Amino acid sequence: MAAPDAKPKLAFYWAASCGGCEITITELGMRLIDVGDLVDIVFWPCAMDFKYSDVEALGDGEIDVCFFNGAIRCSENEHIANLLRRKSKLLVAFGSCAYEGCIPGLANLYDAESVLERVYDTAPSLDDSRGTRPTPSSQVPEDEIEIPVFYDRVKTLAQTVDVDYFMPGCPPVVDQVWNVFQTLLAGELPAKGAIIGADAKTNCDVCPRQKGESGMRIKEFKRPHEVTLDPDVCFLTQGILCCGPATRAGCGLPCINGNMPCRGCYGPPDGVVDQGSKLLSAIAALIDTDEPEELPRILDTIVDPTGTFYRFSLADSILSELKYKRG
Amino acid sequence: MSHESPETFADQVRAIPGGEHLEMCYSCGTCVSKCLIQQKVEPEYNPRRLLRMVMMGLREEAFRSPTTWLCSACDLCYPACPQQIHISGVIGAVKQLAIEAGYESPLETVSVDETLCSGCGICVMACPYEALHLVEKEIEGEMDLVSEVDANKCLGCGICVAACPLGAISRPGISNQEVVAQIEVPTDGAPRLITFVCDWCLRADDDVSLLESYPDNVRVIHIPCSGRIDPQMALLALRSGIDGVLVCGCAPGECHYKRGTYVSSCKISLLNRMFDQMNVGDGRVRFVQIGTQDRGCIRTEVDAMLEYLAAWKEAQ
Repeated sequence: MAAPDAKPKLAFYWAASCGGCEITITELGMRLIDVGDLVDIVFWPCAMDFKYSDVEALGDGEIDVCFFNGAIRCSENEHIANLLRRKSKLLVAFGSCAYEGCIPGLANLYDAESVLERVYDTAPSLDDSRGTRPTPSSQVPEDEIEIPVFYDRVKTLAQTVDVDYFMPGCPPVVDQVWNVFQTLLAGELPAKGAIIGADAKTNCDVCPRQKGESGMRIKEFKRPHEVTLDPDVCFLTQGILCCGPATRAGCGLPCINGNMPCRGCYGPPDGVVDQGSKLLSAIAALIDTDEPEELPRILDTIVDPTGTFYRFSLADSILSELKYKRG
Repeated sequence: MSHESPETFADQVRAIPGGEHLEMCYSCGTCVSKCLIQQKVEPEYNPRRLLRMVMMGLREEAFRSPTTWLCSACDLCYPACPQQIHISGVIGAVKQLAIEAGYESPLETVSVDETLCSGCGICVMACPYEALHLVEKEIEGEMDLVSEVDANKCLGCGICVAACPLGAISRPGISNQEVVAQIEVPTDGAPRLITFVCDWCLRADDDVSLLESYPDNVRVIHIPCSGRIDPQMALLALRSGIDGVLVCGCAPGECHYKRGTYVSSCKISLLNRMFDQMNVGDGRVRFVQIGTQDRGCIRTEVDAMLEYLAAWKEAQ
């Protein structure tokens, strides 16, 4: 335990993620200097020079708060998740990847071999396939090299270790990050398992767009690049699939204000277990036709249902559970 | 010299769009023979008699008649009517006058939890009867856009209950909690099947009792309309170890609540597309559409599903 007058110890880590969550922390700008005065950052591999051995040298529970971004994709991610869990009093799943799998979680549509085949053999940017695969252990003249094992399934942080708080967002918006820092540093701890840095309701609650007079019944789903979008009218009214109805508010609507539909990165609102199926249920109720034989054609206009309804939450979904329960 | 007779009840009904074909009715009663409400719910339900009441000026009797309130405009009677009267249109006109006269629907309707409602408007579009609309209201001290139910228009089908992304809409008997609580099938080695059955797709009493005759491994959950189905229920069932889910609804064009069949077929179809994408697509969640002429087909469908699930379990 730290002495009463010692600064709280903070750690940041990134597992399977794009780096956006790290950028959002640096977006704190000068406020980051204030944070630096208030706390000791004991681990932040993206920004400062620490080694895993520095974390291993810490006592159990010595880190006060660890902000962990990224999904669990390989054995290294899993190992560090366990290590940081042990060393931290509070572990925060920071951002959509750690919270619900996010874009890396979409790899659960495939198995590890299909992913590797795409990356190493069939991606259009490759000259030719050399049949290379990363292998956990390989012999080079100098020594034996070990690299992390690439898992078949992308997991969320909470599917791997016990998590205290969940902070949604891809990435979490900077003002929410600042709020959360202030709240936690002030010692105002919400109940364990709470969603922090977000609101209770959905984006439709705060969205300023008008429902069009024609209503939202949809005969054809269009994609944003296929139409000129009215910046003042509800996307669903324009036939654009928007995830706002089943997405937690708190982001401040940067996408919607940028004339792009909500893609769902703040995850499900309170009371919703499975964001994708709930969204599906809502969207299907909007489909409108007098000709039943038209239905398959209308459904075809939802090009990638899983990737659309579960864009950020696939790893945390019942759909993923069903897949991996079968082994 | 012109003579103006006072406006009769029939004149008022005729003046409302939909009511204009009133007088073509010669009371043959073919509509009654087609009507599911008369067969399944309310023996007093009788469109022929209602139209007659209107022509005879029996205003109060017409307003109190269950026929005025229970018609769901499924329009099964419409193609059968030799006079091609759009009967639900006439009944709708009577209902409108009844509402204006201060009468209220006797049906159990949905209600909105305004503290949960986000005002997204999905329910407004989901409703086949324009019974929901968005209103600006003071909720917990703040002005907020929320959904409001017109209890006289709501027929309680539950399509909006499934559509609401926040679970803010419910109706006694078919709330999310009540339906999910029924998703339970004992294990005894036999394939475990949940069958959601819409209240209207089984025309014959024989078919209803036949469903009850299956052993415990077939759990039947009654819902007012297949449009009430929420794909999350199918996922929860499969996660709990239940082998299959069968959703039974009316045939296209015969849905009791107009939109329910195609809304549910969209949901199950999209769910199966996602199963295919995830490589877990193995036909364990199915939607069957049962037409007015399809007597006995429920047995065929359930038996086929059980046989399929037995083979599927064997292969696991």
